[in-house]
Amino acid sequence: MLYLYIWIIPLLFSAIAWLKKSSRLNTAIIFSHSSLCLSASVALLLPGMGLATKLGIDSLSLWFLLITSILYFAVGLYSLQHKSNLTDRQSSIYAIAMMAFVASMGGAIVSKDLGLIWVFVETTTLASAMLISFEHHKQSLEAAWKYLFICSIGIALAFVGVLLLIIAMPESPSLVFDKIMQMKGSINPFWLKVSFVFMLIGFGTKVGLAPLHFWLPDAHSEAPAPVSALLSGALLNTALLPLIRMQGIMQANSMGHLANELFLLFGFASMFIAAVFIQKVKNYKRLLAYSSIENMGIILIAFGLGELAGKAGMIHAMGHSMIKAAFFLTSGSVYSIFGKKDYNLCSGLLSRCPIIGWLWLIAFMMIVGMPPSPLFVSEFNIVFALVGSGNLALMMLFVILLASIAYGLGKASLAITMGKSDQRSKLPISEYLAPTILLLSAMILPWLLIVYLKF
Amino acid sequence: MADILLMLFGLSLLFASITNMLTSIVRILVIQGILLFVLTILKTNEMNMWEFAFVALETIVFKAVLIPWFIVDTINKNGIKREVEPSVSNFFSLGSMTAIFAFAFFIALWSGKSSPNVYPLHFGVAFAAILKGLFIIIANKKLITHLMGYLIMENGIFMLSLAIGSEMPHIVSLGVSLDILLSILIAVLFINKISNSFEDVDSDELSILKD
Repeated sequence: MLYLYIWIIPLLFSAIAWLKKSSRLNTAIIFSHSSLCLSASVALLLPGMGLATKLGIDSLSLWFLLITSILYFAVGLYSLQHKSNLTDRQSSIYAIAMMAFVASMGGAIVSKDLGLIWVFVETTTLASAMLISFEHHKQSLEAAWKYLFICSIGIALAFVGVLLLIIAMPESPSLVFDKIMQMKGSINPFWLKVSFVFMLIGFGTKVGLAPLHFWLPDAHSEAPAPVSALLSGALLNTALLPLIRMQGIMQANSMGHLANELFLLFGFASMFIAAVFIQKVKNYKRLLAYSSIENMGIILIAFGLGELAGKAGMIHAMGHSMIKAAFFLTSGSVYSIFGKKDYNLCSGLLSRCPIIGWLWLIAFMMIVGMPPSPLFVSEFNIVFALVGSGNLALMMLFVILLASIAYGLGKASLAITMGKSDQRSKLPISEYLAPTILLLSAMILPWLLIVYLKF
Repeated sequence: MADILLMLFGLSLLFASITNMLTSIVRILVIQGILLFVLTILKTNEMNMWEFAFVALETIVFKAVLIPWFIVDTINKNGIKREVEPSVSNFFSLGSMTAIFAFAFFIALWSGKSSPNVYPLHFGVAFAAILKGLFIIIANKKLITHLMGYLIMENGIFMLSLAIGSEMPHIVSLGVSLDILLSILIAVLFINKISNSFEDVDSDELSILKD
């Protein structure tokens, strides 16, 4: 029933978009779908109504659902006035693929059946590959092919993980997480371990964990800006969710330490790869993509450390999604101003278009974790947890990697914003508004949710 | 009966390591599709009517007819050279296939003791097919061969899901959706479009985007 609610409006709107084929109507459709998604997730949040418990959505799902719908709303707002050179037919396909993408992410987030989650994650791959290849030139085709192929292999391995999990269970197996939890103790430990590793590799491909991240910088840099924002802010989290739930199952079967060690291993590997490549990359959208890899690594480290750091992981996921989406949307504006993706060829953004320049700088400050960014709190908590558990060497490594990433990002951000420029550029107001909303909600929302709604 | 089919499936994997022609890999895929169809039929009594009909129809239509036909069609349309052009020698590839079999059966026999619902021959062959598919993807440069590797891997996954189909029938139909994903992968756009923009459909060509 729940999935019907999620899919009915996209289906209806897709029919309209396909019949009418008008690009103005299509942006309006995306915007209204995104507003509906946002209001639905706010309605789920309101504690008085108890909608969430009635529909069987737990707080973990709700948290990620809220992130996705806020991002989607900002993307819808941004696209309202964003200039695009799509034909009417193309824009209909774009709108349909976009709605299918968001609806399948929604399905994967609220679902608690591992089989269904798997199906929805697979659908996100298909829908978003359409979106990535949208500009139809050589690079975007290459990016879409790599994305589709690598993620399909990943998703196939995740399916092997699901199959092995069924083998691990005693009679009358089930893939619903609550039921798997009830079986704790009677699950075969060997098969559970193997299954967890397969799922970590499978879904980890989609999360973009190093060394399975090769598709990510290509896809993020070639997709149109609104799509990159959704990919990095929402899709990566969607694939992370089943891993977090599987970690819970491992802990219930007293193999939590193995899951935690693997999380830490992949987390640090991702941070390391990102730190190395960020120094070298010249394309600013690829730079942001590597920063996403880094942040997914940090979230994994947080969950690997557990307890208070686990909560920091949630905050980090929310903060990273909002800030990175704002960053990607701004990068779309920067691209439309300069028409180049190499940051050495762009300069003087602050004098050419001050608002975008400031948004760019603020997004940079927040993504490297300067207060009032929520990432400051989460990274602080992680360092605290590392010291608390006596891992001083890991703590040093964490801080050094963070610093070198901040250096790499800072070099690029300053190169773009500083410098002189005689020209002036004006952009439509929705392109300023969307990143601003995202940055503001990144600052406020996590605390609001934790203090008032007791997550 | 089932054992013979499983062994034939294993043999087809060995044959895939020594052949040099794309068309014979396609033939292997057709044979594997038919073998899987017969294996599914042997499971009739373990599934309910509708699910069985769906899965059986899917295996014969997608695995044995539609996808191989798509691949042959793509090869013809794009004038792809008919040799496989692997980056490793046949000898090496056969040797590694043997190692893969040894590993898969080792895992299957070793772990089969602890869980009674794992039938070692079935599990071993399925696992070997998954690894072989990955091996083909790694050891080749042509995109079309990558697709075939993916197909072989997926046949292995389908077989694994058949092994536990009696306990959880609809997991098999889930596995079927992997097939549909693959046919979209081939059909929707990629090979055709990519070969329009790139001269040879080779993974070496896909190197504009790199760091």
